[in-house]
Amino acid sequence: MTFLHPLALLGLAAAAIPALLHLLERRTPPEAEFPPLRYLRDAERQSARRLRLRHLLLLILRTALVAVIVLAAARPILPTGLGGGSGRGSTAVHAPTALAVVLDNSLSASAVVDGRPVLDRLKALARASLAQAAPGDRLWLVLADGVARAGSREALLASVDGATATPQRLDLVPAVGGAARLVAAEPLPAREVHVLSDLQRTALGAGSVDVPGVAELVLAPPARVPANRGVAAARAGDGGLTIAVSGTPGASAAPLVARVQPPGSAPARAREVGRTLAAPGQSVTLPLPPLAPGWWIGEVLLDADELRGDDRRLFVVRVAAPASVTAEADVGPFLSAALAVLRVARRVVVGGEIAIGERLGAARSIVLPPGDPALLGQVNRALAARGVRWHFGPPGPPGTLASADLAMVRGVQVNRRYRLEGTEGDSGVVASVNGEPWLVRDGGVVLLGSRLDTTWTALPGAPGFVPFVDALANRIARGEAPVAEAVGAPRLQFFTRGADTVGATVFGPDPRESDLTPATPDEVRRAFPGARLLDEAGLAAERFAATRRADVSGLLLGFALLLAAIELAVASMSR
Amino acid sequence: MVDSRRLDLLDPAEVARLGGIEIVAQGVVEGFLAGIHRSPFRGFSVEFTEHRAYQPGDELRYLDWKILARADRLFVKQFEEETNLRAMILLDASRSMAWRGDPARLTKRGYADRLVAALALILLRQRDATGLMTFDEAVRQVIPARVKAGQWTRLVRGLIDTPDGLGTAAETALRQLAGLLARRGLVVLVSDLLLDRGLALTALRYLRHRGHQVIVLHVMDPAELELAGPPEVRFRDPESAASVVVRPRELAGAYAATVRREIAGWRAACRRHGVAYHHIRTDMPFGMALRLLA
Repeated sequence: MTFLHPLALLGLAAAAIPALLHLLERRTPPEAEFPPLRYLRDAERQSARRLRLRHLLLLILRTALVAVIVLAAARPILPTGLGGGSGRGSTAVHAPTALAVVLDNSLSASAVVDGRPVLDRLKALARASLAQAAPGDRLWLVLADGVARAGSREALLASVDGATATPQRLDLVPAVGGAARLVAAEPLPAREVHVLSDLQRTALGAGSVDVPGVAELVLAPPARVPANRGVAAARAGDGGLTIAVSGTPGASAAPLVARVQPPGSAPARAREVGRTLAAPGQSVTLPLPPLAPGWWIGEVLLDADELRGDDRRLFVVRVAAPASVTAEADVGPFLSAALAVLRVARRVVVGGEIAIGERLGAARSIVLPPGDPALLGQVNRALAARGVRWHFGPPGPPGTLASADLAMVRGVQVNRRYRLEGTEGDSGVVASVNGEPWLVRDGGVVLLGSRLDTTWTALPGAPGFVPFVDALANRIARGEAPVAEAVGAPRLQFFTRGADTVGATVFGPDPRESDLTPATPDEVRRAFPGARLLDEAGLAAERFAATRRADVSGLLLGFALLLAAIELAVASMSR
Repeated sequence: MVDSRRLDLLDPAEVARLGGIEIVAQGVVEGFLAGIHRSPFRGFSVEFTEHRAYQPGDELRYLDWKILARADRLFVKQFEEETNLRAMILLDASRSMAWRGDPARLTKRGYADRLVAALALILLRQRDATGLMTFDEAVRQVIPARVKAGQWTRLVRGLIDTPDGLGTAAETALRQLAGLLARRGLVVLVSDLLLDRGLALTALRYLRHRGHQVIVLHVMDPAELELAGPPEVRFRDPESAASVVVRPRELAGAYAATVRREIAGWRAACRRHGVAYHHIRTDMPFGMALRLLA
C-alpha cells in the first residue's frame, strides 16, 4: 500500500485526541448540590459495567474515526485487479507508466463499417487510453506517418481529436517496434504500447516485434470488413493508359472511367477517354486518343464504395511535338526505312534537333557503333570531348535484350555488340544484354551497343522496331520528361525550368491500403509474439492493468461516515 | 373551570410570592375548604360543654339554632377538649430539604412549611389540638398540641424559627414524639425521606403500635425525579459532603428507575405497616397535596 499524500499520516497523532479529551474532560467537571446522592450511587452501581463498556466503545469508535479520516486524507493506494476506470467508492490509479498509443489513421481506417468510419472507433479507443493516463506517465502518440509524438495527455488528446485518415500506409511492425523500444527506454515501473489499428494484412508486412518488459495490447482485427476496390495505378504510356486495380481479393469487377483535361483548361472541361470494368488484381489498358502537345491531366474514377479515398487516382500525359531528325547515310537501310515510316506517320520530321549516325552530331545525337572498328577510337575521343561518361568498349558476347522501359525490345536477340563502358556506374542505362549496358543515355547523347542491322541484332526484323525507333527519337534522345509517383493526398506537382515544364509528380494513396482484408490472429501473433490480442472490452479492462491500483480514500470516508453514525447512536443511547 | 382566587390550586411558587407563610396558608385553606364544602378532618368524638357568643370567623356549623330560634341571639357551641383529635406534625428540617432543582420553584422546606401551616390551620379550625416538631439530626422545635387561640401563630412562628439543619435523624424525633403523645392521635411526617429507611420504619411502626394514625408525606423536587445537567458534573450531597462525578445523560435512565423503585419501596413498606404514604412534588398545588390527606 502506498499513499498519495504520505505527509498527511502525521495526522494519525490526532487519533490520541479522543483519549486526551476524555481524560481532560474528567478533570474539572462543574460541581452541583444534589441531595438524593444515594439514589445516584445506586443507579451508578447498577450501570457501572454497562457504562464502562460504553465508554470503552466510544473511545475506540472516536479513535478509529480520527484514524480513518487521517488515512483517507493520505489517499491510500492499493493494488487491485478491478477492470474499468474506477470502482465503486474507489478511484482507479496506476503506477507511473510509459505509454505509446499507435493510432493507425492510414487510408484504410476511413472505410465505413456499420455506418461509422473505422477511424472514429480507433480514435475513441485512443482517447480512452490517453484519458486514463496519470500526471506521472510518459506518453507518446504514433500516427500513420510513423512519427512518435511525445506530449502531455491534453496535447496528445488534441492530436487524436485532430487526426484524419491519411493516404499513407502505416507499416505496423516497424511502428510498433519503434514505440516499444521508446517506452522500454523509460525508467518507469510499467511500459505499455496500445496498438489501435484495423490490422490490415498488408499493414503487417514482414518481421516481428517483441520487446521484453513492454506490454503490447493490440486491438483485435474486425470480424467483418467490406469488399473494396481501389485504383492502384494509372500510367499513360506508348500503349495507352494502363490502369491497375487493387482491393479485396476475389471482389467483383467494378466500372471505372478515365477522363483527361486539356492543357491549361479548367477541370470542368475534362472529357471521358475510356470506360471499362476491372476487378482487384487486374490491370487494363485504355487506348488514348490523339492528343495535342502539352501536359494533359487525367483521372481514373471507380464507383463509390465503403472506402472512398482510393476510388480516384490522377495521372498525367505529356504529349510532345514530333522530333526533327537527321539520319546520316551510314545508319543502314533498316533505320532509314523506319524513319521514313515515322515521317509518314508524322511522328518525326526532318530537321536538326537529333542526329543519328556513327559520329557525334552537334546537338542531340544517337550514336551507332562504326562499322569499321578502327574508327572506335575517334568516336570515343569525341564522346570524351563532349563530356559523355560512356564510351564503346571491346566486343561483347551475344545475348537477348532486356529493358524496363522499352517493352518492344525485350527478348530480342543481339548477335554482335560492343560493350558500353561508363565511368559512373550504370546511370543512364535504358536496355541491356546479359546484364551489360546496350543502350545508354547521357545528357543529349544516346549510345547503342549494336548497329541496327540484322547481322548485329534481330531487332530490325522485330515488330517493335518502328516503335523502338519512335521511342528512341521522341523520348530517349530528347530526354523524356520524368513523371514520378508518390504517396500522398491526390494531387499533381509540376517541375519547371524557365518557362518549360520538365517533369511532374503524381500523388495518390498507397495502393496497399485498398485491400481491407484483416490479418488472421495467427498472422498478428507472428508479427507481435508477446502481444495480447483484445477486443474493445478487453482493451478497456487491460489498460494499465499490470500496475492498476485503487485509491481507497472514498471507501475510507464511507467507513468513517459509518463509524460516525455508530458513534452517534452509541453516544445517544441513554439506557 | 378553576377559580382564579383559589390559591390552593395555583402554582406553589407563585402562591408563595403573595406573602408570608400565614397569608399563604390562610388563602390556601380558604380556597381548599370552599372547594370541598366540608371539613375533611373529624375528631374521634365531640362532647358539648358550654355556649359562647358568636364572633365573626366562627364556623356556622357550630351555631346553636335552637337558641337562635327562641331568643334570636347568636351562640356557638363549645366542646370538651379531651374529645378532640390530637395531631402532631413532624417536619424534616435537614439540609437536604433546603434544596430546589429550579430557582423558580420553592425549596422542599419552603413547600413543606406552607403545607404544614395550611394543614395546621385546617386542623385548628375544626378544634383539633395540633402541635409541631421540627428535626434534623436532632429535635429542634417542639410545640405541644393545643387548640387554644394563638396556637396556629405559634406553630407558624415555630416553622419560621427553625433553621435549616444538617443531617437527618427521623427515628430519634419519632421516638421522642411517642413520649409526648399520651393519647392516641394523628402523626404527620413531612420529609424528603433521604434517611435510613429501616430505622425510620421501625419508629413509624412503633407509633402505629401505640395506636396512632400515621401519615408520611414524601416531598420531592421534580429535579430529583429525573436526572439532568451538564455533560459531566460532580454532584455533592449537601448533608454528608460526599460527591460523585457522573454524566447525567448516560445515567438518567438508571437513575429514574432507581427513584421509581425507591418510592415504590417506601409505599409498599408503609402500606405493610398501616402507614399512609403520599408522594408530593414541590410543583404540586397545595390544594392537591391537602386533598391527598382528605
